[in-house]
Amino acid sequence: MKRTHKQEKKQFEKFFKEGNIDNFEERFKVLDTFLQTENHLTSQELTKMLNDNGHNFDNSFVKDTLNLMCNLGFASKNKFDNGIIRYEHRHLGQHHDHMICIKCRNIFEFEEEEVEKLQIKIASAHGFHMLQHKMELYGICAQCLKERVKSMPLSMAKPGERLVVKDITGGTGARMRLLSMGIRPDDVLEVITKVSRGQIVVAIESSRYAIGQGLSQKIIVEPVKN
Amino acid sequence: MTDKKTITIALAGNPNSGKTTIFNNITGSRQKIGNWPGVTVEKKEGLISKFGYDLKIVDLPGTYSLTPYSIEEIVARNFVLEESPDVVIDIIDSSNLERSLYLATQLREIDGKVLFVLNMADVARSHGTKIDAEKLSSLLDVPVIFTVGNKNEGMDDLLKEAIKLAESSPVKKEKRNVKYSKDIESAIVRIGDLIEDKVKDNIHYNFRWTAIKLLEDDKIVKERFALKAGNAGSDIIDEVQSLRKNLLNLYDEDTEIIMTDDRYGFISGIIKEVQTISPKRRVDISRNIDLVLTNKFIGFPIFIFFIWAMFQLTFTVGAYPMDLIDNGVNLLSSGFERFLPESIFKDLLVNGIIAGVGSVIIFLPNILILFFCIALFEDTGYMARAAFLMDKIMHLIGLHGKSFIPMLMGFGCNVPAIMAARTLESEKDRILTILITPFMSCSAKLPVYIVLAGTFFAAKAGNVIFSLYLLGIILSIISGRLFRLTLLKGADAPFVMELPPYRVPMLKSLTIHMWDRSKMFLKKMGKIILVGSIIVWFLSSFPRNINYSEDYTSILNNINESFKEKFISADENEKILLNEQKLAAIAGIENKMNSEKIEKSFMGKIGKGLSPVFKPLGIDWRGSVSLLTGVFAKEIVVSTLGVLYSTEKSNDKAALANALRSSGMTPLSALSMMVFVLLYLPCLATITTIKKETGSFKWTFFSITYSTVIAWMMSFCLYQGGKLLGFA
Repeated sequence: MKRTHKQEKKQFEKFFKEGNIDNFEERFKVLDTFLQTENHLTSQELTKMLNDNGHNFDNSFVKDTLNLMCNLGFASKNKFDNGIIRYEHRHLGQHHDHMICIKCRNIFEFEEEEVEKLQIKIASAHGFHMLQHKMELYGICAQCLKERVKSMPLSMAKPGERLVVKDITGGTGARMRLLSMGIRPDDVLEVITKVSRGQIVVAIESSRYAIGQGLSQKIIVEPVKN
Repeated sequence: MTDKKTITIALAGNPNSGKTTIFNNITGSRQKIGNWPGVTVEKKEGLISKFGYDLKIVDLPGTYSLTPYSIEEIVARNFVLEESPDVVIDIIDSSNLERSLYLATQLREIDGKVLFVLNMADVARSHGTKIDAEKLSSLLDVPVIFTVGNKNEGMDDLLKEAIKLAESSPVKKEKRNVKYSKDIESAIVRIGDLIEDKVKDNIHYNFRWTAIKLLEDDKIVKERFALKAGNAGSDIIDEVQSLRKNLLNLYDEDTEIIMTDDRYGFISGIIKEVQTISPKRRVDISRNIDLVLTNKFIGFPIFIFFIWAMFQLTFTVGAYPMDLIDNGVNLLSSGFERFLPESIFKDLLVNGIIAGVGSVIIFLPNILILFFCIALFEDTGYMARAAFLMDKIMHLIGLHGKSFIPMLMGFGCNVPAIMAARTLESEKDRILTILITPFMSCSAKLPVYIVLAGTFFAAKAGNVIFSLYLLGIILSIISGRLFRLTLLKGADAPFVMELPPYRVPMLKSLTIHMWDRSKMFLKKMGKIILVGSIIVWFLSSFPRNINYSEDYTSILNNINESFKEKFISADENEKILLNEQKLAAIAGIENKMNSEKIEKSFMGKIGKGLSPVFKPLGIDWRGSVSLLTGVFAKEIVVSTLGVLYSTEKSNDKAALANALRSSGMTPLSALSMMVFVLLYLPCLATITTIKKETGSFKWTFFSITYSTVIAWMMSFCLYQGGKLLGFA
């Protein structure tokens, strides 16, 4: 890890000198601190980190430096779904893959040898010299998946379960019939008995309904959240 | 009669809202109150005079909405629309305010005079629900009153309020109606304006209502509109279609669903204002009973037990009064026989009317008990559970559980059974149910089985009769499946049915219920069976002058002469013996004479003409005739057999049994005849009902032909097969 950072520092020095960029020492300090963290930072967070370490930078300078580094390819600016811009430094030649949970907004990094190899293979097959790559997978993380309530057709429910009607699928006629009889989305129902697959008696408040198999498959329910 | 003003009042409301009870309270009529959804299949009316007015009260079928998804909804809506009653009273179950208001808002949209009745508010209050009637009244601008139907409270207030409303001047109340989502609302206004501009004079319903129904794609309103509005109307319908398409794109949902949501949204706003619910935990008894009676494992056995108990009760308990009635009929018959002078009138009375009607009336106890049990199922609320339990089995036929109710009633009488098929939403389901219901062995066929099975199967009669019932059920399942796959293709309608709360049946209501149906049986007896009996008597007694093959009078004289001679030389003991011999000889000759008389009567000739058709079934000419007369009513089969075999001028059952046995009928041919009776064309009353309910000669004719062909084929296979196997 350290070695990689040394390499990057050297490259940084070289590029800055070629580009006639001022305040190299100050900017290098920003870079140094930046390289020491593996987190994705906002410019404010980085400023705070620098000042906590006894420096005295203002945010616009830090932001300016970060943008420079982005232009030179040392860092990248990521705008995640929530609109906040975070910076991360690039390990040149190294992978950098993310999984982003659309529900809790957590970001997970991952590394997969196979994928890396495949990328190089694809790039070289196209005669493309790959400097770096970025992969973002959007989805739902394991934790959120575990907490998610499962919806199911009413025909799958068991006697004694309390459920919320989520949706009524099927033809307009059947839906209108259920709606007019008082079985509607967001109603809480209790399964009284179930004779066979989907032939079911449910209670909604003080009314009870017998529902046939065909229809109970079309009523989508979820368990009541406590 | 003074020229009092007549006010027409229609009662509308959800099933089980207590509507029928209120109707009974007001009119005091002998009208059914049931407990499974939609027992009020007919438009019932009652006329009363009160508070200086003639009030015509019409009980509309219980419905959840005014969309035309079932016959009842169509009937209810048509009445409100077409006959414009002066007042529509909407009876609201107070413990189910939200759903009741769904119908109520639709009634309001039609723009008539509506009165809301909060019924059973005492029950709702005990469950912790309070309704602010004044607020409800002012929010919807509708008079609201409270009643307790089953305690007969508030009926006068109800009528007074209705009269007051009827006499008030009509005012537009559009402001208090449901306001739909913006885009739908503008579509309604657009269509409403188009109607007003272009076809104003042809459409006499509220324009806004018509526009709403057209946007909901209401088939009936659309058809009627197209018919009345002509060319301009089809332009409007095109416009409606394109608006619906736009709205579908906009909401990604059918317009009628969005409108339903809007209505419920409007209602929930009202509910928030007028209803307070205190969370009172209570034991829901009905729910607990349902845990048992609709249970996966024990629900079905309990159901089978109830059905078994019903038949057991019908046939064992019914047997006692049956004997009494039988004795009474015999007494009457022998009384007339003794005291009336010999004449053709006496013959008609004793051998025609008393024999015919008498042989049928003895089944009245069975029928009363059967209908009582069915009334008990309905009034307690069990019938709906039975329908639920049968749902899966009915799916074999391609029908759902609700069709089971007509079929069960078919065991009593096919006429009310076929009428009960009205509660089915789908036209195809209804026709299918009507077609297979006649295979349910009705109580009128039972006398035939009792006589034939009792005579030829003695101890096994019960099993034979049970298998006949079973055969009927199996054939109805097979036929149903067959029709579903061929003539009446289509998916079975979605099955959803409200299970009414269990109620302790009121004896009064049970008896009214039972009596209503039994009355149908008695009326049948009064008209059809009486006429049938007379016709049968006429056909078997005429022509009066018959050329007998032998001179029976002289034979009888010879016997008398010869015995006279023997008597002279005989002692006392021998005289008794000789007397017996003489009577036996005379009876034998008289039998022969009577047989020949009937054989040469019109009846005999018809029977002989028919016999080629029935011979392969093992049924002789007497059987053929009785089957023919059975078309009047199945009970007549027995009385005809009675007349045809009445060789000893007696209606005694034992005598008929003897006569049957000696006529050459075998157990196999008796069985064949019973199967034929089970399956062949329904009785006249049923045929009339089928015509009325299907509204089609085609289906009526089909039902008659199908059942008769099946009957002939089954009997043929049974008889010929049995003969081949060696049962003769």
